[in-house]
Amino acid sequence: MKSSGAFERDLTQLLPRLRRFAHGLSRSPADADDLTQATIERALRARDQWEPGTRLDSWLYRIMRNLWIDTVRARTRKERYEAPEEEARLIGEDPRGAIDAGLELQRAMAAMERLPDEQREVVALILVEGFGYREASEMLGLPIGTVSSRLVRGRIALLAMLSGVSDG
Amino acid sequence: MVEENEFFAWLDGELPPDDAARVEAAVAADGELSRRAREHRAMTSQLRGAFGMVEAQPVPERLERAIATGFESTIVDIGEARSARERRAQPLWVQAAALAATLAVGLFTGNLLSGGMAGDGSSSPIEARGGKLVASADLGRALSARLASAPANDGPRIGLTFREKNGAICRTFEDRSASGFACREGGGWRIRSLFQGAESQATDYRMASGPEPQLMEAVEAVIDGEPLDAAQEKAALDNGWK
Repeated sequence: MKSSGAFERDLTQLLPRLRRFAHGLSRSPADADDLTQATIERALRARDQWEPGTRLDSWLYRIMRNLWIDTVRARTRKERYEAPEEEARLIGEDPRGAIDAGLELQRAMAAMERLPDEQREVVALILVEGFGYREASEMLGLPIGTVSSRLVRGRIALLAMLSGVSDG
Repeated sequence: MVEENEFFAWLDGELPPDDAARVEAAVAADGELSRRAREHRAMTSQLRGAFGMVEAQPVPERLERAIATGFESTIVDIGEARSARERRAQPLWVQAAALAATLAVGLFTGNLLSGGMAGDGSSSPIEARGGKLVASADLGRALSARLASAPANDGPRIGLTFREKNGAICRTFEDRSASGFACREGGGWRIRSLFQGAESQATDYRMASGPEPQLMEAVEAVIDGEPLDAAQEKAALDNGWK
């Protein structure tokens, strides 16, 4: 047997984390699972480009982030003249009275969705996924100073949204 | 005075020990900074908790299946994926790509030809005629008559129909023993690519490069444009696959 079975096993083990990252980036759980699936497909096709001995998780996160960016760009072109209805609906949902284990997730996704894309990816990687500043900067191909200042802006905005404080 | 970036770097454990100790002392001595540190720690843990629910959920079966079958589709765009979901239409690639591990073609072809019978007792999908590998009678009938949009319960399943760059119609097929694609040539179907199916895989064969969908790669190498859609496939059938 070649190592291909091990690749699939490792990929399967990383699925819960990949889905979590996808939920941090995407605007709905269904979009998040589509993003995860697209990432799996891309990873399987490009598996020869992964160097054994390097971190598979970072490689997969990078694939997912690039696919997400492609999607965001395509959507931006498409929606330039359209009202972002889905976004408005998601944010406009009144959480009061909804007793649901997913409520916290829904609120967190809605708040993340309101961050600019370049802050959202940094917040997702560092605050949610637990990567270090350097790892995130390597994954995103950005200087570490850029990563840390985007993180500061993103988390301050999130704090205002999630604690219900309206300061803007 | 603690600079903002440094404050958060300290909060995230990103400062070297000396700097961290200095910032920690400054924060402890400053009520406002202490409050900010508490708020941001609480927010981060709230965020982790919320997204942690995703990690704790069972993974949807379609994602595990995507790995298990080396699933491949043309869906790489999430907008497209969403449209596909809403249409509830099974993309042709999905139907075509349900392959598992594949084998080197040479070994496998020899086995099918010499044995004449696939492992399940059905007849071999291929035969040699005039020095060329062509579809057997059963597979030929399926290739000529079946539509991907109306899959049969047994026998070979048809996946994609497409034109190759020289204009000939080709179709991918899959049965219990094999998958591949065949192109229209001289009134018959010439086998152009063939991979062993998972079910007939013998233990004494070495696995080839794993469940990567080699068939789709082979198709991608010869396809002209996009696969035919259901209407075009039907039209091509009615036109005798010309």
